[in-house]
Amino acid sequence: MVRVRSLALLATPIGVALVVWSCDPQRSAVAPTIGTPLAHFNVFECTPLKITGGGRIDYPPGTAAKNPPASHEYETFGAHVMSSGQMDANGTCLADKGSLEWVDHRDEWRINGSPLNLHSTAITFAEEATDTDCSDGAAHWGGTLRVQNTGEEAEFEVFDCDNGEPGVGHDGFAIRVPAIGYEVMCPDPDLPPAEPACTLTGGNRQFHPTHR
Amino acid sequence: MRIDTFRGTVRVLALVLPMISPVASAQGQMRAASIASRAEAYGVSVSTPTVTQKSPYAVLPTGEAMATDQGQSIAVAGLVTAQDLFAIATGDADAIDGSNAVSTATLGVVNVLNGLITADGVVAVASSTIGANAVNSNTEGSSLANLVVGGVEVSDPAPNTRMNLPGVGYVVLNEVRSTGDGVTTSGVTVNMIHAVLQEPILGLLGQVIGYRTVGNIIVGSATSSVTR
Repeated sequence: MVRVRSLALLATPIGVALVVWSCDPQRSAVAPTIGTPLAHFNVFECTPLKITGGGRIDYPPGTAAKNPPASHEYETFGAHVMSSGQMDANGTCLADKGSLEWVDHRDEWRINGSPLNLHSTAITFAEEATDTDCSDGAAHWGGTLRVQNTGEEAEFEVFDCDNGEPGVGHDGFAIRVPAIGYEVMCPDPDLPPAEPACTLTGGNRQFHPTHR
Repeated sequence: MRIDTFRGTVRVLALVLPMISPVASAQGQMRAASIASRAEAYGVSVSTPTVTQKSPYAVLPTGEAMATDQGQSIAVAGLVTAQDLFAIATGDADAIDGSNAVSTATLGVVNVLNGLITADGVVAVASSTIGANAVNSNTEGSSLANLVVGGVEVSDPAPNTRMNLPGVGYVVLNEVRSTGDGVTTSGVTVNMIHAVLQEPILGLLGQVIGYRTVGNIIVGSATSSVTR
């Protein structure tokens, strides 16, 4: 009995050390870059993360104020991503799972008689952004999506920010789909919470810190 | 064995082994039984003695993080027509970091009861969050564009604005219902247009002695709730 207890005492710190070492962030992550560098969202860590939620953005201008409803100048979305912080051989920080549903209600983005509707087909990368003003956490993630209006496939990236509660007026979200010349981004350093994320006018983003 | 593979194996064992322990298992079951995230959204719901329809309709499945549904247009038995309908339900039940739920329903041009109620943009948003530092639910982001009820323009109606519809019943605009105790549970439902169809109850002499509800038409509904 004493021998078993001694063995357990010896094994416990070794086990804890192994787990801590296995969860250590891999700081040299390199995500696929499909856009230009930004003032925020420049420094990343490949570490386990999860961010969930959805809501509404009134872009342009992407501030915390709602546009007049009749303008139809708003976007609604749902988005989540999860990563265990694993890098592939190319240094891409891999996403385990996730999805994006995005609708742009602006008249100028009606395609084939319907509002622009983007639907993710694969989430390929996700990394934590550590240089933002997002108090609860931020992530840069993306993959491929299908433009539901046309069937076209394209790469995309999002800049995802949890800046406290409630989400309205605090959290932020931005998306870029270069292949179709589409982006909802707010590169204004004075705009909360952190450029290029546009401020939510509805909904919430929730970063889950203990997932790492 | 590659170092990454070994690290991954250790991480998996760290996750799995505590679950095998009887104590951890019991605690996990208690947590799983209490935490919950619910999100639901739909564009149009009609409930009458002859018609029951809800579309598009998105409900967050247990263990999933998102559900969506959509329709380019809908016409329900001469009661409602609507275009560009989208329903999105998202959420996550997390015993440690807290849970959240967000749902949105959006519509373009809407016509209820052959022009008695019209709008050219409806947005319903419901959001609930529960965590260590915050418990809240709200319907921020919900809106109605160019709403006209019985020929009267209605701009940005306050929550639970009621207007009579003579010969038909009444309508509640921006109908908000909160649920939960604000401590361990929190939730909210918003119905942007809720038409209640009524017919008179007649007395023995043929006089109207009351009304009974014979149907409901809801346009733009979003629900969210969380429990820890």
